[in-house]
Amino acid sequence: MQKASPPTTPASGRAIPWTLLRRSVMLAILALFMLQYFELRLLVGSLSGSTLLESIKLLDVFAFFEVSAAAKGVGLTLLTAVLPVALLYLVLGRAFCGWVCPMDLLFSLVDKLRPGDQRPVKLPLSPGVGYWLAGGLLLLALLFSLPLFTNYLSHLTNFFRAIAGGVFLARDLPVEPAMVAWSLLTLLTLLMLHYFYPRLWCRVLCPVGKTYGLFNRVSLLKLRFDQGDCEGCELCEHKCYMGVKIVRHLDRGKLRDPNCIYCGRCIEGCRHKGKLIGMSLK
Amino acid sequence: MKVAAAAGAAGVAGGSGLLLREDARRRQAAAAERHLSPLPEIAETGLVRPPGARPGREFRSRCSGCGACLNVCHTMGYDAIAMAGPRHGRQGATPYIKDMRDFPCTLCMECPDQCPTGALQPVEKPAVKMGIALIDLKLCFGWNGDVCLSCSKACPLGASVFDFYYGAWGNQPYINEKCVGCGLCVKYCPLGGSAVKVVTPEIYAALKDDYLAEVDQTLHISGEERYEMVYGRNLPEIMARGRLVEREYR
Repeated sequence: MQKASPPTTPASGRAIPWTLLRRSVMLAILALFMLQYFELRLLVGSLSGSTLLESIKLLDVFAFFEVSAAAKGVGLTLLTAVLPVALLYLVLGRAFCGWVCPMDLLFSLVDKLRPGDQRPVKLPLSPGVGYWLAGGLLLLALLFSLPLFTNYLSHLTNFFRAIAGGVFLARDLPVEPAMVAWSLLTLLTLLMLHYFYPRLWCRVLCPVGKTYGLFNRVSLLKLRFDQGDCEGCELCEHKCYMGVKIVRHLDRGKLRDPNCIYCGRCIEGCRHKGKLIGMSLK
Repeated sequence: MKVAAAAGAAGVAGGSGLLLREDARRRQAAAAERHLSPLPEIAETGLVRPPGARPGREFRSRCSGCGACLNVCHTMGYDAIAMAGPRHGRQGATPYIKDMRDFPCTLCMECPDQCPTGALQPVEKPAVKMGIALIDLKLCFGWNGDVCLSCSKACPLGASVFDFYYGAWGNQPYINEKCVGCGLCVKYCPLGGSAVKVVTPEIYAALKDDYLAEVDQTLHISGEERYEMVYGRNLPEIMARGRLVEREYR
């Protein structure tokens, strides 16, 4: 999905419009999902679980862990469904959050409502809390034998359930209005949370993102730096809404932070326009 | 010219008004029908799952609520699957067949093929176990001196599922345990509110003895008693339902 990101060495001169690119990818994937409401079966389901071209099953990685915990076992179907997704993000790391997740789009809309400085704020929770939360959710799934998060709380499930519910309500088809209301309420809660604590969900809480964050440690895609002409303005770090400490990694040449979502805002923010920071698959 | 244009506009508005009225009427009929459930003594039918669902708790633990089944059902144009709501407690956010009167499962078997977690598994149609259809003997035309057979004609498995009792009272249909519970007979039963109800295998196990006893009793009561039952009690109720519900199929 992120084939649109060719490896750019810091030396290459042309500035790539990263934000425009990833918004396009995001909307294209959403559009593929929307086709299922026009009787086209290219991509059926939601970002929690779906089927591509009526044959390739896809399952979100955290959903895989949660269902495995709830079912107390890993079936062949589960494995074949999670494999393509896991392979994709072994290459692309946590790019899911910056390039696919619809919440990124919704959050950026909320950002427009918030006046003033958009600099990353100090969060009331440390990022480590998210791992405990994800672990706790898996434990609950194991104890109660149901994928609690993916079913009821997941932004992905709820986003697509709200859309499906809306379509079904509009077309007078069987639907549980209370479940649609629940999904809308969940999304609204997340947007409110984002309004008061920007990206707290992404940076600290979201177990889906935390899981993809683990892929960053081994993924082929990473941020690369060339210190050459850096004047130490720290604009890159100011632009990063995931609160990644970019400046302190500059001298190491590359960055493997579990919170980096490869949105490219640091690259766009840099005054040397793509010369000092770049994404690289090598 | 102006007058013609105005008349045209009025015609269009009138047309859409008529459509809206028609729509409202259909909704009203559907709402009226909902209170006319067959076998009212069976209050709880259980959640009838899409075909190929793993049994009971196993299904719950594997279903992530992703909506692939629901959406593929929608692309097929059947719209049988809805997501259970908070009122279903633990079973919330999992798929079930909500409204068999209008949107039964057609056993197209697409949803088990699309399920990414294996909560639904591909199976052969006759091996599907969504539930079992029970005929309300008090409401069924066939059990009350008429010839109908709509349910058996609608059934995708046909002859293997239907047993018939022939006798002085005509051709009385009985749905045996090979029924997979798709609900097509529920939809095509011409009686207002349908005379067929699908219950899950678990619920069926609990009420099987009572139901079979009722079938046996109805078949073996005397001619006078049967006459009194059909003409005294059942037919008036059947005809009342017919007057209440003027149904159009969706």
